[in-house]
Parts: sequence; C-alpha cells; structure tokens
Amino acid sequence: MDKIIDIDSPDEFIEEIEKIQGALPKRINANPKNVEKGLSKLVLTLIELIRKLLEKQAMRRIDAGSLSEEEIERVGETLMKLENKMQELKVIFGLKDEELNLNLGPLGDLM
Amino acid sequence: MEYVTTKSKDVTLLEILDRVLDKGVVISGDLVISLAEIDLIYVGLKVLISSVETMERLRGAPFASPMQEPK
Amino acid sequence: MRIYAYAVIDSNSKITAPINGLEGIGVYNISYRDIGIVVSEGEQIQDITQEHILKHEEVVEKLMESFTVLPVSFLTLFKKKDDVLLMMQEHYSDFRENLDRLRNKVEFGIKIIWPGETIKNRVIEASKKLNANVAIADNTPGKSFAMQKLEKYKIDKEFAEEADRCIALLDDFFSRFVTEKKLEKLKSDNLLLNAYYLVEKEKQGDFKEAFERAKNTPGDLKYLFSGPWPPYNFISLTKKSSSLDYLNTKDVFTKLVNNLDLTEKNII
Repeated sequence: MDKIIDIDSPDEFIEEIEKIQGALPKRINANPKNVEKGLSKLVLTLIELIRKLLEKQAMRRIDAGSLSEEEIERVGETLMKLENKMQELKVIFGLKDEELNLNLGPLGDLM
Repeated sequence: MEYVTTKSKDVTLLEILDRVLDKGVVISGDLVISLAEIDLIYVGLKVLISSVETMERLRGAPFASPMQEPK
Repeated sequence: MRIYAYAVIDSNSKITAPINGLEGIGVYNISYRDIGIVVSEGEQIQDITQEHILKHEEVVEKLMESFTVLPVSFLTLFKKKDDVLLMMQEHYSDFRENLDRLRNKVEFGIKIIWPGETIKNRVIEASKKLNANVAIADNTPGKSFAMQKLEKYKIDKEFAEEADRCIALLDDFFSRFVTEKKLEKLKSDNLLLNAYYLVEKEKQGDFKEAFERAKNTPGDLKYLFSGPWPPYNFISLTKKSSSLDYLNTKDVFTKLVNNLDLTEKNII
C-alpha cells in the first residue's frame, strides 16, 4: 500500500508528538511485585483529575458571576488547601507533574 | 553504500507506533497471554530507536532499514 | 510457542499469496464462521525492536490489499489455537459489525501545528492589560488565589476558543469526504489538531485534494498528512474483557470518567 507522508517541518512534529505521548504507561503491571509503583501513579492521577475538575467548575462559576464575594473567598481558600495538599502528596510519592498527566481521548489532556 | 535517513522516516515510525501499540482490536483477558512475560513497553521513538542502536553498536554494523533501499 | 495475531479479516479462506510475519514465519488464517484471524507462530520475542513493529504493520497492510481488515494491536499473543477460537467466539458479533462498517474504507491522519505559544502569549498580554487596574491590596489569600486561577482559566478558555475556530475552519475542508472522524484538539499548546479520518477508498483522491486546498489557509500552520492506514482508530468493541494481571489505564480512566458523566458541557 502506498503510504503518503506529506509533511512540513518533521522536527517540529517529532517534538510535539514526543511531548504528548504521555507519562502514564499504557498498561500497569498489577503483579504484586510491581504493583506499588504503577498504582500510586494511577491513584494520584485520579486525585489530580478530581482536583482539577473541581477547580475548573469553580472558575466557571466565578466567571459566570454566580458566586458571592464571600463564596469566592471560601472557594479560593479551599482550592489553595487542595493544591498544597496535592503538592505534599507528589513529594511523598516522588512524582512530578508531567508524570500525572493523562490523555483522556475525547476529553483531551487532563492538564 | 549510502543510507539515506530522513526525519520523515522517524515521523512514519511515530505514526505507526501511535496506531499499533494501543489501538485497533485490543484484546485483554484470560485468553491473551499476560504481558508479565514481556517487559512493559514504554512508548516513544527514543526507546525503540535506542534498542536498535544498541544492537547495531554491539554488532558493529548498522541494520538495513526495512523501509529504505540501500543506495 | 506463541501465536501472534495481526488482523481479523473478512474471509474464512486460506491465504493464497504467502506473507511472512514476525521472525520470518509465514502467516495463516484461522477461520471462524465467515471470518478469520491472521496469525503466525513463533517463540517468545525477547527484545522488541523497531523491526518487529514495522513487520507487524507490513503484514496488516499487505492483508489490506485483498481483504477488509480489523488490525489487531501489536503483541496480542495466544498460547494455543483453541484460545484463539474462543476469543473469536466471544467477539464475533463485534468483529462482524466492524468488518461491515469498515469495508472499503481507509484511515488518514492529519496533524496540524500552529504558533500556539505565540498566540497564548498574545492572550496573556491582553489579559494582563485588562487586569492591570484591578486593586489587589486588600485581597485575602483565598480571594487572591481564586483571582489568580480565574485569570489562568480565562486565558486557557480564550486560547481553546481560538483553537476551536481554527480547527472548524480546517475540518470544514475534509468533512464532506469522510464517513467518520476523531479529532483531538490541543494535545499540546502547539499541536492544534491531531485528527483521524475514515474515508471511503473511492474518495481518497478527493480527500487528498481537499487537504491540498486546506494547506492554503493563512496563519503559519504546519501540516502532517499520513495514510492510507488500516482503520486502527475506528474499531469499536462493545465487549471488553479485563485481565486480572494487567490494568489498561486508559480503559480505567475512560470508564471512570464516563461514570462521572464528565462530558465537555458539564465541565466548561
């Protein structure tokens, strides 16, 4: 089959493609020996997912003007605490931001 | 003999990797041999290119690219 | 001994023209009812190399010349023929549906790079100007944090909207010639679009021409066009068996996300 590859600037595409290939392994070995490493990444990515979604929800509502000044303040404080907690967890598990990214297909990238 | 290596070849490989490693008919389950017997594949052009390079180094000669005719 | 699978095909006959698979071993068709799965046998591969992957793809593409194929993911291995047949039985209706849907169709990939970083910086500058006069002296920590996040949210939103506009413009060129498509937007700031298009074989020429026309769109865009490919991105399987030893992470997250009903309209 004749494959057409028509491309401008292959270097740039290689750079971008390698960026997005994702830190999360395609499959996690759930055998007892390796389970910890893979699962902690999975769990933290999940927590990060929820945190980011909460943050986004809050921003959407602030942007839409549906929160009072007091509510904005409280939401801000809560989000700040969540973010700090997340930072602590990352340090404890020795994981970096890039390692917790995940491409969710039609939802796009997590971050 | 002269081997023409172009970045386009790398791009083609990346395009192939994007498809064959994770897409198409993906079957998991008891009927399929568990990957415990094969090391986890971390996708990335660098990972695969380097395993070929390592072998070339050990052998002392470059492999012919399956996608290119030697000139 | 391992059985390596390459593709499910719309035929239960023997493969007449010989094709060599991994480790140079000839492939053959294991038939099940009116379809089949093309496999080869071999020993355990120790080191996975570029060559193995390219060979797998080569086999699938050769098959595609004569059959409708459902390409199988690389390194799908079975212990024995009975396992293969059981698998075929489990998935028969899915395979049948996919083969019918994908007959005479091929996949193309289009990736587009745009000056994302530049555009984002422009949006950031505009946002800074807008917020320059807002008093911040008497903000509580909570409010400051929220405002900071809000600014970032607005910037990302504006950036995503610009991307959507650009993508809509480009996608418009192709839509007429495709039967299905999958668009991934802004996988990175600079990768505006990663798209997979399913195109009828007879419309390949039209599709390619549409791409050539799309390339004339102004705006410092860079294009990658590849294909025709076997339809890796358009296989849909309803039955998903899960292995006890391995968790497919994308599956786990997609299932989770679906359960939480996190569609775009709920988030943005």
